[in-house]
Amino acid sequence: MPENKTDDCLECKKKDRWREDFPIEWENDNYITRREMVKYLALGSLTIAGANFLLAGIPKLASTSVMPRTRVATASSLAPGGSKLFTYPGSQDPCIMVRQTSGELVAYSQVCTHLSCAVIHNEKDNNLFCPCHQGYFAVADGRPFAGPPSRPLPRIKLEQVDDEIFAVGVEVG
Amino acid sequence: MSTRQAQGTTVFTAILVLIGVGVVVQLWLLTATVDALRRHESGTPLLAAIASGVVFVFNGFLVLYVFAFDRKIKNK
Repeated sequence: MPENKTDDCLECKKKDRWREDFPIEWENDNYITRREMVKYLALGSLTIAGANFLLAGIPKLASTSVMPRTRVATASSLAPGGSKLFTYPGSQDPCIMVRQTSGELVAYSQVCTHLSCAVIHNEKDNNLFCPCHQGYFAVADGRPFAGPPSRPLPRIKLEQVDDEIFAVGVEVG
Repeated sequence: MSTRQAQGTTVFTAILVLIGVGVVVQLWLLTATVDALRRHESGTPLLAAIASGVVFVFNGFLVLYVFAFDRKIKNK
């Protein structure tokens, strides 16, 4: 008899341990899951807000950082009406430099301000053209004059030393 | 389930949905921020971050309300 009692107690303990491991009653399962869901959504909300504030700080950091001075081309290699592609400030930032018919050199980011396609130089009509959505930018100042883009192309500041042309900064319009 | 319990469940489901919608809005704001950064825009990311913060405060308020309500029920 005492053995049986001990067995019962062991059974009870096992039962108790099982209940400790799974404290949620089947009927309340949905209720608890909903609370957990609210908790995780709130944590997700905090994470996203934090990430957004971190990203918002990037332009401020970028504006204080010194832009590199990169050699782009030789001035004599570009005839009036001609264009040359290069990357600035990083190797993943495509840019385009154009020598206008007046002889003046201008350079812009090649990334269209509409949906980030690459703009190309249309020598015949003397403009910068985005083939994705037919956006047109003026070569003289990078301002959009036709198509969906509404903001000008970021201008790359150039500096000429003898025959060498250097990119020294980015000017966002 | 009593009528009062059913009403409570509806309220908490509504709160859960509101928080979920808030998180979706925040995700949209985050994509808008990344898009603005790619376009070298400086004004939009800050506005989006502030809006995201406001949505988080709203979500936090709702979550605190749920937890406070739970505590109240447990203490009864």
